Amino acid sequence: MEETESIAARSAGQEELYRGAAAAFGASLGRLARAYEADAGARRDLLQEIHLALWRSFESFDARCSLRTWVYRVAHNAASSHVGRQRRRRAVMLESLEDLEAMPDRGEACAPDERQALDRLLALIQQLKPLDREVILSYLEGMDAASTAEITGISAGNVANKIHRIEQILARRFHEGEPHG
Amino acid sequence: MDDMKDVWQKQAAENATVSLEEVRRKAGRFRATIFWRNVREYSVLGLLTAWFGLYAWRSPFPVMRVGNGLTVAGLLYAGYQLHKRASAAAAPADLARKTCLHFHRAQLERQRDALRGVWRWYLGPMIPGLAVIAVAAGIAGFERSWSAGLAVVLFAVAGAMLYVGLGRLNQGAARRLQGQIEALDAIEKEPK
Repeated sequence: MEETESIAARSAGQEELYRGAAAAFGASLGRLARAYEADAGARRDLLQEIHLALWRSFESFDARCSLRTWVYRVAHNAASSHVGRQRRRRAVMLESLEDLEAMPDRGEACAPDERQALDRLLALIQQLKPLDREVILSYLEGMDAASTAEITGISAGNVANKIHRIEQILARRFHEGEPHG
Repeated sequence: MDDMKDVWQKQAAENATVSLEEVRRKAGRFRATIFWRNVREYSVLGLLTAWFGLYAWRSPFPVMRVGNGLTVAGLLYAGYQLHKRASAAAAPADLARKTCLHFHRAQLERQRDALRGVWRWYLGPMIPGLAVIAVAAGIAGFERSWSAGLAVVLFAVAGAMLYVGLGRLNQGAARRLQGQIEALDAIEKEPK
């Protein structure tokens, strides 16, 4: 009897945690899914996969890290597993930030409108290797280097270094040729 | 660069909500997918075991019976290993307790070990049985005619080459994964 009550209490706690996380981070998870999957149908599937992973993970939430760190780790890890499966199926090559930095621009550097900028940003993110993708997404979501380091496991110094590279790449690809003044 | 963050954060939400009912339905579909994948894999294994088992039981040649029996043992061992590896999948909370770096590394390690040990757990266990069957078929072939014996030898050599090729492909893939693991280790060792 006690065991049944404890299972019911755990299950209610799991649901409550999930609902709270989905309400607080739902929009951000939607953007994250978009950054990991270009195909609209597969993206809906990925988003559901992320939510399912989150719901299942709350079965044993231990509050050893913040809710935000927990949610982002689950989301990134579930999404990068998805990318790994797709990569094996479609034989897609992924690049590192260092590779992107070394690549010559393809005459795209001009001031695009918001829609074009977003499309190009998504295309750029979708070709990155998992860890670099996690760093750029945390950066775009407005997280600082310490929070990104806690989620990804990369040192804060290394995250700061990667963010510096990201800023240079974004500046080169989205602002060159923009009229000044 | 704040304008890029703005562009990112203000993008139109594209049906981003997922209801709890939808999550539960997805969980059901996920369980069904795993169930049918297991049914598929174990059915193939069951059919092959039945096929070789039948020959082990019915063959009039003792050497052929031994070869088929050894193949059945190899298939059962490979099936057990498949089952063990499938059950060792990450627990749901691992996704949150491991940082992205550690999770990614663990995934690469799991794939590398599966590929690296392919001789030990998948290709290797079949060799004794298949080798005995090939020898028995060769003897029977040469007893009938030279050309029949030669055909068996050529068939066995082609099979062995395919086996070695498969093994090499897997080892090459394991080496590439090891390279990726070492790159992640280098990232982890960088000063804090």
